[in-house]
Amino acid sequence: MTAKPMKKMIKYNRAESRTAYLCLLPSIIGLVCITYLPMLASFTLSLFSWNGLGAMKFIGADNYIRLFTKDTKFYASLLSTLQYAGMAVIGSMIYSLIIAMLLNRKVPARGFFRALFYLPYVLPAMAVYLGWKWLFDFNHGFFNYAIKSLGGSSVKFLDASGMVTPSLTLIAVWLSGNLIVIFLAGLQNVPRIYHEAAEIDGANAFQRFCHVTLPCMTPIIFYNLLMSLVSNLQVITPALSLTKGGPGTGSYYMCYMLYNQAFKSHKYGYGSAIAVILFILIAIFTGILFATSKGWIFYEGDDKG
Amino acid sequence: MTTSALPKKHMRISSKRKKERLVSILCTAALVLLGLMVMFPIYWIFRSSLMSNGELYAYPPSFLPPEWRFSNYAETLKVFDYMQFLGNTMTILVPSVIGAVITATMGGYAFARLRFRGKKFLFTLCVGSMLLPSMVTLIPLFLVWAKLNLVNTYWPLILPHFCGGGAFNIFLIRQFVKTVPRELDEAATIDGCGHFKILVFIILPAIKSAMIVVGLLKFIELWNDLLQQVTYITRRDRYTLALGLNIFKGSFNDDWSSIMCATCLSFIPGIVFYLIGQRYFVEGIVMTGMKN
Repeated sequence: MTAKPMKKMIKYNRAESRTAYLCLLPSIIGLVCITYLPMLASFTLSLFSWNGLGAMKFIGADNYIRLFTKDTKFYASLLSTLQYAGMAVIGSMIYSLIIAMLLNRKVPARGFFRALFYLPYVLPAMAVYLGWKWLFDFNHGFFNYAIKSLGGSSVKFLDASGMVTPSLTLIAVWLSGNLIVIFLAGLQNVPRIYHEAAEIDGANAFQRFCHVTLPCMTPIIFYNLLMSLVSNLQVITPALSLTKGGPGTGSYYMCYMLYNQAFKSHKYGYGSAIAVILFILIAIFTGILFATSKGWIFYEGDDKG
Repeated sequence: MTTSALPKKHMRISSKRKKERLVSILCTAALVLLGLMVMFPIYWIFRSSLMSNGELYAYPPSFLPPEWRFSNYAETLKVFDYMQFLGNTMTILVPSVIGAVITATMGGYAFARLRFRGKKFLFTLCVGSMLLPSMVTLIPLFLVWAKLNLVNTYWPLILPHFCGGGAFNIFLIRQFVKTVPRELDEAATIDGCGHFKILVFIILPAIKSAMIVVGLLKFIELWNDLLQQVTYITRRDRYTLALGLNIFKGSFNDDWSSIMCATCLSFIPGIVFYLIGQRYFVEGIVMTGMKN
């Protein structure tokens, strides 16, 4: 390979290459040692039974077989994860797109509003969940006060297995300030001439939204969808800080199950098997998104980087 | 004929302007309403921190604290080791943020400007890692740190951030470096600068705001983290704010007044840092353009 196409290959400057590799050294170490190797290790570990102390025992696919056939909690976990991710992604995408569109108009104190909607995102997660727990409190929380004064009866937001995931996704929507900023950036990149052209052609605001804004925004929507799906399928913080997976299996999300099996029960192999399934699940969703993306993503003609 | 056409045109313009004004008023009203809804939980937490438990459990709840009990904070600080937890958190945060900014800048510069073998491959690996669930690496990494006997130290929480600072941050820096005119590099090369000198003297001053964005993003990421800290830190004297708060909640079960005080206290540093750096945010994210 080195001998034949020598002439056609770009000649790399030695000093330039050396600087480049030096600059990239930390990143390469990171990619190898804290991303790709541990990932491979997870795959391997999932074929073993190990409590961290004794000898590792190779058991083949037993961990997976047990997960799918014996561990009844696993299906519940899978289901609640999908429920959480679905609701959180859809809710936060719609919410943040609406806020971003409002912020993209000529409104007074835009910077202030932008900061305000982003604010929840910069608060430490642990404190946020604690605060919301108080708002969700069955007897003295604000939400139940509001419901009661509107004539309803109190809701067990965090203490009923059917309610806990919807309640937690409400917090997730509230926290989605980063999506707003990315949407806003996208909206500001929509070329104004498109809007003007559409206006001259007599398109009303709604038509302009559907035929100009939305198509121009599809790459950003795709990016946000992808990133929030990947992160929401990995939900663990609310379970870790508030609900401990309960009530029942209402918030026994896959990552929490993984954490529990590995660090509480010291079943590292079993936990790794859950990690691998999570990896496959995310790969499937990502694959579907990428496969369908050609159909609905509109790319502007420019390809300058 | 001409006299009748003129007012008509005028009217059309003014009605259009009127409509536009109406829309912008409606949008502002919607923003104010939504803003109040978003701020309300924070306000409720804050007002709860200034009330006694008796007042908190009264029905109906009062929207304003009957009495502004700032002494609650003094009481809470006696039992909640805020300064120690904050100090511990900062011990993790400050070096991590610095490490991430430096290594992400180096990586981003190399990807944006330098030519070397394997660049495309490395870049693909890098961007690809954005999609890989970090949960999958948790167990093996923990086992390695445990083997090195470094659990319950801050190394597992700090060192990984010296390894590129995350793919997104490298990507962000790369996009910024690309906007710096190449002529500057070339001029510097003619003056005898090497690539490393170019990075330090030409590129760095030009992408300062991107570095601030990376720092802030890293800060928020770590500030929000609970999983890594729960996994690696179990000794009470090493607790961070998040862990301290978690324990505090457990031991002060129904003392919501104190819990809300502790919650508000841990809101403060994040808000302060955000206010300092927030104007760089949107600029930084617009810049990446999410293209290419």
